[in-house]
Parts: sequence; C-alpha cells; structure tokens
Amino acid sequence: MIPPAATKTFDELTLGHGVSLEDLIDRDALGEMVKSFYDLFGVPLRIFSEEGRLLGDAADQIPLYTYLNTAKNGRALMHEVVSRVKNIALGDDGFASYQCTTGESYRVAAISYDGKRIGRMILGPFVPPNQAEPPAALLNLDSALEAPRLHELWQTMPHAEDDAVVKLARHLGRTLDLLLFSGHRALLTSNMHLASVRESFRELEDKNEKLQTAFDRLKELDRLKSNFLATVSHELRTPLTSIIGYSEMLVEGLAGDLTAEQRDFVQTIRDKGEQLLQLIKGLLDLSKLESGTMSLRKTQTDALSILRDVAQTMTPTARKKDVEIAVEVENGLPLIWADTERLRQVFLNLTENAIKFTPANGRVTLSAKLTSVEAARPEDAGGLVIMSARRTAIEFRVADTGIGIPEDERARVFDAFYQVDSSSTREQGGTGLGLSIVRRLVDGHDGNVRITDNQPKGTVFVVTIPVKRATIG
Amino acid sequence: MQLDFVNRELTIKLVYYGPALSGKTTNLQALHKAAEPGASGRLMTLETKDDRTLFFDLLPLTFRSQGSLAVRLKVFTVPGQVIHASTRRLVVQGADGIAFIADSRSNETQHNTDSFMDLRENLKQHGLTLKQMPLIIQFNKRDLPDVRSDAEIAELASKGREPVYLAVATRGAGVVESFIGLLHLTWSALDAEHDLNKKFGFDADAFLLQVAKKLGNPKPIPEILQACVGGALEVLRPEAG
Repeated sequence: MIPPAATKTFDELTLGHGVSLEDLIDRDALGEMVKSFYDLFGVPLRIFSEEGRLLGDAADQIPLYTYLNTAKNGRALMHEVVSRVKNIALGDDGFASYQCTTGESYRVAAISYDGKRIGRMILGPFVPPNQAEPPAALLNLDSALEAPRLHELWQTMPHAEDDAVVKLARHLGRTLDLLLFSGHRALLTSNMHLASVRESFRELEDKNEKLQTAFDRLKELDRLKSNFLATVSHELRTPLTSIIGYSEMLVEGLAGDLTAEQRDFVQTIRDKGEQLLQLIKGLLDLSKLESGTMSLRKTQTDALSILRDVAQTMTPTARKKDVEIAVEVENGLPLIWADTERLRQVFLNLTENAIKFTPANGRVTLSAKLTSVEAARPEDAGGLVIMSARRTAIEFRVADTGIGIPEDERARVFDAFYQVDSSSTREQGGTGLGLSIVRRLVDGHDGNVRITDNQPKGTVFVVTIPVKRATIG
Repeated sequence: MQLDFVNRELTIKLVYYGPALSGKTTNLQALHKAAEPGASGRLMTLETKDDRTLFFDLLPLTFRSQGSLAVRLKVFTVPGQVIHASTRRLVVQGADGIAFIADSRSNETQHNTDSFMDLRENLKQHGLTLKQMPLIIQFNKRDLPDVRSDAEIAELASKGREPVYLAVATRGAGVVESFIGLLHLTWSALDAEHDLNKKFGFDADAFLLQVAKKLGNPKPIPEILQACVGGALEVLRPEAG
C-alpha cells in the first residue's frame, strides 16, 4: 500500500503544512504504545488525529459506564461526555480539562510537531484518589441505577491525581515527539529516494530524447547522401556510356581509318572511360546497398564453382604480377543460400585486393570449409536447448602473402573510401570502395567478414556465409 | 515562501549550497547550537554515509514577531558531492534565499567555481537567475593553512554584488553573522515583492534583532551586518511591471 504521504510534494513535507499524524507514525505501533502506557499508568488513553480520527485506543470497557448505559439518563450523560471531551477547545499551552458532573475527570492535550498541532490525546476518565465514594450527582442520576452497584463499580474506576495525569501527558508528548521526528525523517528519506530517482530518470529521458533526435537527423542525412550518390552515379553513367561507345566506334574504324597514334589515344580514352565506369558502378552499388534498394537474388549456390570461377578470372592479373593463385576446397561442401553473382563480386573484390597488395613470387589462396556460427536470435526466443544456437556455415578464406593490415586498421578498412595508406603518394591505386561493398554484400547474406593474420606474413579475409536461410527471428 | 493567513504564519526556505566538504552541515550545527531552546527545533540529518550528507539537513527555526506573525525559517543544506545533482536540484527548488559556503583553501577554488556554476544551472532549471535570488557567500575554514588571503577575498568581494562573509564554522565564528546577512537580504527581497512589512505590521529590524539575540548575538543589527567584507546588502527592487 502506498502511504498517504507518498503523493505529497517535497515542500509540503518539509515546510510543515502537509504532514499529518497518520503520515508520521504507524497506526499499529501507536496503538501498541498507547496500550503500554495504559498498562503502566492505568489511565485510559485515546489518540485522535487533528481531523478527529481515532488512531490509538487503550481503554478497557469501563464497568461503571457499561452499567450507566443501561439507564436512560446514564446513556444521555455518556453521550454528552463523549462529545464534550472530543470537541473541547485547547488553551495556548495545548491543554484542557473536563470535569463531569458525576465526578470523573478528563485531560486533553495537543500533540504538536514542529510547532503545529497535528492531533490530540485524551486521558481519562479518572477520579481523584481521595474520593472513595461516588458523588451524589451520580447516585441520583437515574432511579433505574442501584446505589450499591454504583458504589461497587466506583471502586473500579481509574484513580489518579490531576497533576500526575498532566505530567503523564507531557511525558507522552515528549515520547511521541521523538517518534514523530523519526517518522518524519524516515518519510522524508523515502520520499527523497523516490524523488531523486524520478529526477535522475527525467534527466536521462531528456538526454535520450536529445540523442534520438540527433540520431534521427544523422540517419536522414545518411539517407540523403545515399540518394545523392545514386542520382549522381546514374547521371554520370549516361554521358560516360556515350564517351565509351563512340571511342569504341572510332577504334574499330567506323568513322574512317585512324593513324596508329590516334588509335592509341582513343584507346586510352576508352580504357580510362571503362575505369571511370567501374568506379561509378561501385558507387552506385554502395549507395544501393546503403539505401537498401539492392535486392539479392538468392538461390542454392555451389561455393566451389564460385571460387574456381574467381580464380580463373583473376589468373591473368596474378600472372602479370608474378603471383601464384590457388583454390583449396574441402570435399562435399553443401550448397549455400546466396546470390551467386553478388558472392562472385565479393570474392573478385577480395582476390583483386589480395593480388594488388602481394609482391612478386607471392601467393594468394582461396579456400572454403565447413564450420558453424552462433546464430543471431532475438533475446526472448526461448527454448535455447531445443533451437540449436549454432548454424552450419561455410567459411571462405582469401589469404595473401602481402604487406598485411595493422591490427588497429582492420575495423576501418570496411568503411567507404577508407585507405590504410591515405597519402597522395601511395603505391597502390583504388577508390577505397571495394571492401565497404564486400562487407555490405556479406551482411546481406547474414554472414560476416573479418581479417586475421596470415603466417608468416600477409592477410586473410575470412568470410562466413550460413548454409541455410535464417529461420529463427 | 509559504504564507498561512489563517494562522498568521510565514514559512521561509533558506538553502546552504556549496561544494562537498565546505562546511554547510557544520554551519547548521553551529546555528543549532547557538539557538535558544524554543527557537530551534531538532536538526534533522537525512541519510549520511561516512559523515557525508546524502540528501539534506533541515534546521527549523521559529520566531514570533511583534505583529504576532509567526516566522518559521527552514534552513536546508544540499549534498555537495557532484553525483547528487538531482537531489540538489530538488532541495534548492522554492528557496527564498541561498548561502553559498565556499572552502577558503586555495586548492579548493576550482571546486567552489564548479559548485557555483552548478547552482546557477539548477536555478536556471527552475526558471530562476542568480540575480533574482537573495544570495550571500561565506568563505569558510579561515583557520586552515593555505587559505586565500583576507586581502584577496576583500578585494574580490568589493567588486562583486553578493555580500561576502568570513567564517570558521567549526568554532561558530561568522556563522550567525552570515545567517543574519542572508535573512536580512531574503526578508528585504520578499518584502519588496509581497509588501509584507505593511500587510502584517511587521517590523523587520526588530525581527532581525530578535533573531540575532536568540542566536546568541546581542549586538545591534547594523554592527552585525558590518561583518560583511564586501558586496551589497541592499536588495534589488523588482523592476516595474
């Protein structure tokens, strides 16, 4: 249950306008304390909140009152006493006293906390110790009440001096004050805990919102960049196709014979045009991959034939550089679920890269073997024991004996336009687009690509592609 | 400030702000010790760990003016440690006046600055500026070695707006003077805004004198206010409109 004070504000709780007796003290504990006071001093005791709710009551049924209640005048008297005592006005010192016509007394004292009255305690009824006999007013109250019985019951009334009761009230007040102080302290502490957590939470929410806004903006910028790349690439390709086409026609002599020198020049224009076209295609691929508009046409694909095809295509380039190229594939590899054309592009890219960075007499090895990978699955997929967490995959390796890639550069080589050696005088050409395309294509196959060392020197690009399509998540 | 017309009661919230371990709680303890019984309630210290304040301390002081208006002063401290930023913001909310307790040691200068910036930021979050807030600055721990010199502080104080006090809170020196300065400034600001003196037939000077007396400083108020080493004790009247 939420305590009533939990909804109060910090100001209400500390500036002293909102704290009530019920907020500060546990009702059951108060009841126990009141009971123990009664047991010790024998004076009946009740505690009321400022609003008049009874919070603690330690007064056995008083036999005299039970008897008075059996007669008409007795009932009327009881009724009057209760209402007078409950509503009595307290003096500046916080005390009031009420003397019944029938001889019993009550003492009422304010319960204050931090200078404010938050409740009252009612002590009584009690009769002075020296009054051994019931007063005449009681004996004559109602003819239905028998005098001997009244005499007998009078003896069971709590006896106490008024001074002693006042002392008792003061002592009780001081004890209560301590309890109220501790209660207030505990209340403030728990409220501060809550409020601090809430405040920290609000702060975090604020920050999250700012981050989300910044993130959304960046995403939008990224999308705009990809769109821009796609548009520009397309617009560049159109005139370039004409340049290449017409140069080709010139070389083939469709516009008349060319001198050897002219043919050379036009051939250069054509070659450079081709090179430019490849670069633009790369850009286009990248932007398509980034904007998610490139669709992969996945079928059951044979890994071995892809690697052989790539090796064959790259053999002339390797031979030119005096680099040996080899394919090593385990027997009996299963088919993989992939876009053959795009996967070929991945390994062409990696192999071309490997040859580029391998010095003469080096070696580039393409290999493939069966392995298994941790399947990506949603957090709450459940049934981990049943749903195998591992998926069968094929691990492709493109290993070279080249210059290697420093450890701290490995994560970044997959970023678009990134070059390990970005100096303008670098030995190796390239746009820096190849590897970023490779990674995005591999991602598109639910696979991953990483870089490790080749022993004794060189680099291995490890590409892992799952055998079956993902079924979980 | 909270005003209870029915009971003719005014509650004013004063907050002791400042960097960690600058002596905010010690100031409150000294005030508590100096106060006559009856004027001060129990000093409530909330959640401490290794003697460091986690939430706040609260000292209630009650005075009754001649105009029969009861003035209740609730004096709070904030936790100084940087990590309790959200608690500080909660406690400083609704403050009528602030005492900034700075550590006088030279190597604490940066912490003072950081805490002051933090105060400014927290007030801003509540839509307030330092200029609107009655504020005094106390350079505490004057008894320690390697403190910034009196001359240095006096020179800086003379250029600044806030009244500046020197104190050794562990010995109670300068504590009541700082408090009276803060109360004077806060009352003047509240009166300028709410016209309290007139509404309640309140005699502010007599009230201050009574407070000072009950805090064990029987000197005349102008003399107590003179303990200030710089800054201005006049209050900026709120701009017309």
